[in-house]
Amino acid sequence: MKQKNTTAAKPKTGVARLMELAATKKPLIITAVILSALAAVASFIPHIAIYYIVMEIMGAYPDFGGLDLQRALAFGWIAFGGIVLNILLYFLALMCSHLAAFGTLYELKANFALHLARVPLGFHVLVGSGKLRKIIDENIEKIEGFIAHQLPDIVASLVAPVVMFAILLIVDWRFGLAAIVGIVAAFLIQAKAYGNEGARAKMEQYQNSLEEMNNAAVEYIRGITVVKAFKQTVYSFRRMHTAIKEYTRMVIPYTLSWENYMSAFTTVINNIYLFLIPAGILIGINTADYTAFAGTFIFYLIFVPSISTVMMKIMYVMSGGLQILGGVERMDNILRQPRLPQPQVPSTMQGHEIVFENVSFSYANQEVDALSDVSFRAEENEITAIVGPSGGGKSTVAHLIPRFFDVTEGSIKIGGVDVRHMESEYLMKQVGFVFQDVFLFKQSIMDNIRLGNQNAADEQVIAAAKAAQCHEFVEKLPDKYQTVIGTAGIHLSGGEQQRIAIARAIVKDAPIIVLDEATAFADPENEYLIQRAFEKLMRRKTVIMIAHRLSTVRNANKIVVLDKGRLIEEGSHDELLARGGKYFDMWTMYTQTLDWKMSRKGAAAHA
Amino acid sequence: MHKLKEILMLTDKGYSDLKKAIAACTLTNLSLMLPFIVTIQIFAELLKPLMGREISWTYMWIYLAGGIVSAILVFIASKNDYKKTYVTSYMEAEHTRISISEHIRKLPMSFFNSKDLSELTTNIMADCSTTEHVLSHVVPQLSANAISITIICALLAIFDWRLALSIFCTAPLALLIILGSKKYQNRLNEKYVEVKLKAADQVQEYLDGIKVIKACGLEGSRFSALDRALRLMKKMAVKMELGTGIFVTGAQMILQAGVGLTVFVGTHLLTGGRIELIPLLMFFVIVVRIYGPIVVEFTLLPELFYHRTATKRMRTLTTTPVMDGDTEKQLTSWNIDFENVSFSYNADNPQGNMAIKNLTVSIPQDAITALVGPSGCGKSTISRLIARFWDVNEGCVRIGGVDVKTLDPEHLMSYMSFVFQDVILFDDTVYNNIRIGDMEATEEQVMEAAKAACCHEFVENLPDGYQTMLGENAGALSGGERQRISIARALLKKAPIVLLDEATAFLDPENEVQIQQAISKLIEGKTVIVIAHRLRTVAGADKIIVLDEGELVEEGDHEALIRNKGLYEKLYRIQQETKGWSVAAS
Repeated sequence: MKQKNTTAAKPKTGVARLMELAATKKPLIITAVILSALAAVASFIPHIAIYYIVMEIMGAYPDFGGLDLQRALAFGWIAFGGIVLNILLYFLALMCSHLAAFGTLYELKANFALHLARVPLGFHVLVGSGKLRKIIDENIEKIEGFIAHQLPDIVASLVAPVVMFAILLIVDWRFGLAAIVGIVAAFLIQAKAYGNEGARAKMEQYQNSLEEMNNAAVEYIRGITVVKAFKQTVYSFRRMHTAIKEYTRMVIPYTLSWENYMSAFTTVINNIYLFLIPAGILIGINTADYTAFAGTFIFYLIFVPSISTVMMKIMYVMSGGLQILGGVERMDNILRQPRLPQPQVPSTMQGHEIVFENVSFSYANQEVDALSDVSFRAEENEITAIVGPSGGGKSTVAHLIPRFFDVTEGSIKIGGVDVRHMESEYLMKQVGFVFQDVFLFKQSIMDNIRLGNQNAADEQVIAAAKAAQCHEFVEKLPDKYQTVIGTAGIHLSGGEQQRIAIARAIVKDAPIIVLDEATAFADPENEYLIQRAFEKLMRRKTVIMIAHRLSTVRNANKIVVLDKGRLIEEGSHDELLARGGKYFDMWTMYTQTLDWKMSRKGAAAHA
Repeated sequence: MHKLKEILMLTDKGYSDLKKAIAACTLTNLSLMLPFIVTIQIFAELLKPLMGREISWTYMWIYLAGGIVSAILVFIASKNDYKKTYVTSYMEAEHTRISISEHIRKLPMSFFNSKDLSELTTNIMADCSTTEHVLSHVVPQLSANAISITIICALLAIFDWRLALSIFCTAPLALLIILGSKKYQNRLNEKYVEVKLKAADQVQEYLDGIKVIKACGLEGSRFSALDRALRLMKKMAVKMELGTGIFVTGAQMILQAGVGLTVFVGTHLLTGGRIELIPLLMFFVIVVRIYGPIVVEFTLLPELFYHRTATKRMRTLTTTPVMDGDTEKQLTSWNIDFENVSFSYNADNPQGNMAIKNLTVSIPQDAITALVGPSGCGKSTISRLIARFWDVNEGCVRIGGVDVKTLDPEHLMSYMSFVFQDVILFDDTVYNNIRIGDMEATEEQVMEAAKAACCHEFVENLPDGYQTMLGENAGALSGGERQRISIARALLKKAPIVLLDEATAFLDPENEVQIQQAISKLIEGKTVIVIAHRLRTVAGADKIIVLDEGELVEEGDHEALIRNKGLYEKLYRIQQETKGWSVAAS
């Protein structure tokens, strides 16, 4: 299943792809389509019934006393019945198609979300959430319109003309042909309108400018607090302004490019009777049975206007279609992003030591290697610290272990097994994380901690919270563990958030812990508590610690020093100090900064 | 009619353009009657022999010619209509977008802290799109149909009022159903919009938290909050579709019962000899087509209702009061005084949880003042009140003797620089991101600021140097690098007052020395207010204000506070203890 997506057959595009998407809810769709086609056929009934009434009345002329009133009225009710049938069938068709559509939407979105979590993390860094969000909230959303409205309408508008043609030709093929000429003319206009390359190109530009405008809006609002602080609202406003103007500049010519086609189409379908007149005259001049001729002519004159309703539907179907296709393409482009490959025959780790063997890695679109030829060993149940200047590759090490990215060269083995030979799910279970950028969801604190282990009982969650020194402050919140993050009035300090993230890792109880110590210092009031939490978390685990503050890791079993993506030193704190290399320099510098003070003497602040 | 302008939030020009669009649309509708009139003429001609007169083929040809002329008129009318409605709606939507964006930038800072970013964005983009749609598709057609239906109705009544009545008598009943169910439909719709926003929120959260989600193995539907939101949205959508569909369908059926009624009345009139054949036929032909436009009205009406939810949302935005004040008054001194200031973030219930309680304190000019206290004590709030992100509930904040409430917020900002932890960078070049501090700055000045903020070195290492595009939220930069860019901005601004969160100095421990240098440059000779977390760092401040739960506890310099043996002394002691912590190898 997981492999299938990467090696799928030639992907379908265009309408075929839309049909494929719609087919997720086949029975409903088929029912909807059949009902809709029947509804379209029923829409002819009133016109035909009215024709019969007219014939009935004309037959009685000039003595209307002889009119079969019952018969005429019966046709009247048939006309009404046809209308009711049409409405009812169409309503039912739409209900089915909506059920199908919303169901499909849900599945598409869920699948899309799943896919987003399966692609390497680097993809998210590159693409940004605005675009992905737009795909979910808008592009996928539009498919609803296709399945719920357009699909039944398309089918109806294919079936209806067939029935219509049959009726037209059966009654009198000469009039029929004349009417069909008119319909074909309308179709040709449509075909011309949509086959036109210029419109397609404009469509593209229109979509792009729409996206640009959306991005500008996100950026505008996100940055508003800053631009206000710098009294620069005009600057960012100008960008927003340009994007809006550009959109209008694109959308108007795009829309107007349809102007002539649309107007011509409206004109033709409302005037198909004009094609009947010459035919009528030619037939009428030479006819032997005038009454029959007049009857037929009148039938066509009554019937032909019903074509316009059907044809108008086709037009709407077509005009919406292009937009949806653009959206589907955007979605598919993302879905085509390869997922992180999964092993055919997954292995499990034997032990928990982590070995980097000649690992090189570079982020996509970047020339410089983030890691080059790094080899080290992190022993089981020991603490291995990774230190070095920022940009040296520390965080990359943390990201490679859980396979947020795959190495470019070399390998990472845990317990003797290459991480690429383990299933992601399994690997994730073995590794617990505490990231530098803590992210809490707008859910209850209980649920936020439980993210680490979905099966944890409330007691386990609370035990973890206690171990992570969260319990005390959580108990002070209005709803305690049920307090929802992000509700008005609930504010957690950086240190408190950090501790919840630690609790998350504790409840997960994975044998390997990858952690990042940085933010502890953003909240010194809580430093002590965070230190206690870390101690609980690291007990009897294999720990890889990304250290920013050297004092924190001076007692680690092993310290690995990275600089510019290369491993330059490793050993214990004392060994490294004795060596007098990079680590020694860093340590010296570090002890200096500790004593920095802000004071009026400004630049001379280093005491 | 004027109400329409208000409902749709139109400009004067938009309103007059809309009227033109409606007129154009009406014209199209009426032009579509032409083929029908020609058809009736042909009918009459065809029936002549039945009434004992001779059919004229010449007339037929004339009718054909007339038909062609009328077709050309239809073409011209619909082209005119197409152009007018679309151009009007796009121009108007543009105007709405711009004026909302314009308004947003004037809103007080507090607004952005209390509103969801995703909700706001939905506001601008989605609501403007519905405006676009409503103006291009709904309003012109709705109005034009109403006008042309009335005209046709009147014309038919002139011909024969009894048949006209039987055609239209069902319309009020059907309309009653639509209007009667409006409340219910609105409620469904509001609920749906709410659910939809919630889902959009969850999507955003899912994307923002993707790293945690991956790490916890909660991909896709296993992340239950998203799954729930999506499922709920599906359920509500079906419910709304069904709820509104039933009424519209029912109304349509009732409406079109007029067909049966007309046939009934017509045939009776005919047999009673009270109507001529030709007018009757005309009514029969009309009756199967006349309801089309009315049905369209029924489907458009809910869309207009629906749009009101959107305008309601937009209106809350545009009616949120903007902060204003003097834009000219020059400040000349920078000592800051809080006088009996009380403040709560919760505007509805200010007594409930006060962030600042009756605070009176002064911050001296050209000195470093540190705000100290446990998290949640109100130290950040104080800096926000100085900058007038919020207005105080009671008391007043003065800078150089001037109440900040009397100053325009943006004008006030020009006297201040901020260095906070959350640095927002724009999807623009590094150069422009720095230049935001002072758009008038020359290239040399920008470089100088960058160098002083220790940015120069890392910027030069970026692929395109200062011209490197940062991308959404500048993911490629480290926390410290971002921070230094923000310091460069502040340096460039050269504001006399500097508000600073001290924790920023520790965002990027590897580059601490550089950030420390940058901050030292920034605060030189300024009135500095520091939100302090690490007490050692501010021990040298000229004044330290100690707060707890929004109240002033102590003030003085480091030595005095240590001697005081109060809260400050206790916090200081704890921090000294944690200083040397290290992980312990087992």
